[in-house]
Amino acid sequence: MSGSLLEVQNLDRSYGKVHAVRDLSFTMQRGQITGFVGPNGAGKTTTMRIAATLDVPDGGDVRIDGVSVLVEPRLARLKIGYMADQFHPYPNLDVLQYLDFFARAYGLRGDRRRRTVRSVAEFCGLVEFADRPATGLSKGMGQRLHLAKTLLHDPQLLILDEPAAGLDPRARIEFRALLKELAAAGKGVLISSHILPELGEMCDSVVVIERGQRIVAGTIAEIQRHQELEQAVVARTIGDAAPLQRFLLTQPHVGEVAIDGARLRFAFGGDDEALAGLLAAVVQQGLPIVEFARAEADLEDIFLKTTKGRLQ
Amino acid sequence: MTTITTDDPAPALRASPWSRLSDRLNPILVREVQQAIKGRVFPLTVFATLVVCVSIALFAASRHSEGADGRGAFYAGLATLVPLVIFIVPMHAYQSMRTELKGGIVEQLLLSRLTPGAVLFGKLQTAMVQFVLYVSVLAPLLATTYLLRGVDLPTILLSLGFAMVLCLAATAFAVSSAAQAIVPALQGVASLGIALGLGIATFGLIGFVLSGTYAMAIGALLRSGHLWPAVSALVLLAAYVTVLSWLAARSFLVHAFENKSTGFRVFLFVAPVFAYAWMLLAIELRYWSEVFAGMTFGMTLIGVCFGAFMVTEQRGLSPRVRAHAPAAPALALPATVLLPGRDRGLLCYTVYAVALLLVGMLGWPAWGSSTEAKLLGRSGLMVLVYGLVYLSIGRWLRGRLADNLQGNHIARVMLPLLLFLCIVLPVVFDLLVSDRVRGWHLGHVMNPFWTIDQFVGDRWPRAVPVLIAVAVLMFVLQLPIAGRALREVTAAIAARRARAAGGATAAAAARAEE
Repeated sequence: MSGSLLEVQNLDRSYGKVHAVRDLSFTMQRGQITGFVGPNGAGKTTTMRIAATLDVPDGGDVRIDGVSVLVEPRLARLKIGYMADQFHPYPNLDVLQYLDFFARAYGLRGDRRRRTVRSVAEFCGLVEFADRPATGLSKGMGQRLHLAKTLLHDPQLLILDEPAAGLDPRARIEFRALLKELAAAGKGVLISSHILPELGEMCDSVVVIERGQRIVAGTIAEIQRHQELEQAVVARTIGDAAPLQRFLLTQPHVGEVAIDGARLRFAFGGDDEALAGLLAAVVQQGLPIVEFARAEADLEDIFLKTTKGRLQ
Repeated sequence: MTTITTDDPAPALRASPWSRLSDRLNPILVREVQQAIKGRVFPLTVFATLVVCVSIALFAASRHSEGADGRGAFYAGLATLVPLVIFIVPMHAYQSMRTELKGGIVEQLLLSRLTPGAVLFGKLQTAMVQFVLYVSVLAPLLATTYLLRGVDLPTILLSLGFAMVLCLAATAFAVSSAAQAIVPALQGVASLGIALGLGIATFGLIGFVLSGTYAMAIGALLRSGHLWPAVSALVLLAAYVTVLSWLAARSFLVHAFENKSTGFRVFLFVAPVFAYAWMLLAIELRYWSEVFAGMTFGMTLIGVCFGAFMVTEQRGLSPRVRAHAPAAPALALPATVLLPGRDRGLLCYTVYAVALLLVGMLGWPAWGSSTEAKLLGRSGLMVLVYGLVYLSIGRWLRGRLADNLQGNHIARVMLPLLLFLCIVLPVVFDLLVSDRVRGWHLGHVMNPFWTIDQFVGDRWPRAVPVLIAVAVLMFVLQLPIAGRALREVTAAIAARRARAAGGATAAAAARAEE
């Protein structure tokens, strides 16, 4: 089916007097990893739960591959894999039994069930832990098991609520690799996380929300353009950086210049042509420059620039 | 999913006969069995039961040489079975459900193809497997008691049948209580309620069995020829408990904060049909008068209880329910009665009351001849009218509160409190004014118990015009409310038809484009 994989349309959800989500709309495409970013209490989990058919909006709708979660929740469920922020496996079940149970719950029978359990366990690197008790896994392996369970019915859209919380760096890197592989296989991934540098590395686009409302959405480059974020430039000289700093401060489009040892980081408001002119001027001055490049604004910059940290 | 597919079956899960068989079973049952086998609690319970059974058997054998028959050993075995099937099995189901709720596992289950009904059914199947296992542990003892004489086969079979039905109903109740604990405010109440309820039922039944009362009762039942009515009534009651538990579990497991009571409303109308059918099939003609009057009266009370919940709901339909309104405009009227919302709740109670009144009027010439039946009929009529009055007040009160779940809970506390105050305040007033409680006077008119007691006898003719006037007044007052309820449903139906037409147009456009 053509069109967006996920369409959030004018979503509203209140809990008493608290408006968790207000008139929220955004879309995401197949094969995309979309970061869902916002301060605590911004409405990320509420939105994700509505998209996963676990909550009902007061207004608006969510469509998964064209299927409304309000009108056809059962059909929508077959298209989504939802990974909540907490994972509580059953006691007295080993890893394969746990996956086998959920495979049965998803209606898989016979050889198909066994094959799927095996392949999902392999994909998530769980085969060597197959007969370990599910409750005895490390946090990282637990998250892998959680993801494996989410993949059993081959969903088109993965909704992952804080999946990397509490993982060590290696587990996070491995988990990220799994998600990239899934996106490469054509699945859409909507992921929320507070570890913004990591999201920035893996996401094709981001949606930033605050107090239940969309602040900004799009690719990081688009948002930068849209928000007119001043781009930073990083330069490095041989020896003392102070002469370069003094020179830069006399040049057009250059904003604040910060020195960190032999490195400089300065704000630059001009375009690429102006930047090339600046580099030529620096070289002409005979300043010993060995590095000169734009430092792209990251997700943290966007987040800090676009949100105000308001709580509700 | 191409990236994670392999053709090799998992070695640990290679198709065994058990695996093939288990494909046909409820996944919950399969998982519970796997967990029980790996856990410690279940084997320990079975072992303890076995030890108790062997002890009883040895004791009975030693007494047999002194001339005692197997009756004592049988009832001791039955008393051993009672805590297992009335407490251990339901509590296991309760704990299992709580574990799933605590960890959010149940949400993961409901995202699969499992419905709340399948989850509950899986728990009931697990309970039945446990029941069969415990009975099989007890089977040698039961066989011994039969061989020792003093207990006949019908008694053994009937006792096991009763135990099974009670086990099923208690488990359904336990699972439903656990499901209700999804709302944090209800967790403590649910745990306390289930532990107390099952504990009291267990001790009561053990006492009933060991005191010999059970032996007498079952003997009398077998001799009286009332076995079929009693057994069928018990099965019907257990079925009601199970269905109600399923409805409660369902409403709490799926979107606990959403307003949805359609299942309960359907149950309210369907349950009396089965009850009357049971009367026609199981009760002798000579008892119909009393049974009919008693059942009809009971249904008026049940209707008021259901009504109290229905009129204290949020008013509107949720977007999800609106999206699922029936497509046919002809179904607008029945849908208005059955769809959630307090306005429709009051209408639903009114329709139920009118239906019950019609059934009563139809049956009365034939069955309303006895004095007891007549009194019950009049009481039922007054209960229906009082129900209408109190539920209208309840609906109004609910409208003054916030339109959320907490508002529902507060109104459900306020309504019985209001009844209590209407009973107590006139009495207090009498005590303050004249130092004693005089007889019934108009100040006690909102006390249904006293008023009904006053007027069902000789003063009935004086009550009839008042009853009719009140009923008509309440009916007229309700018309705008019912109109509003109907309009919301017709709007939902129109929206659904428009959506369907839009979808068809879009599909036609897509086909044309292709």
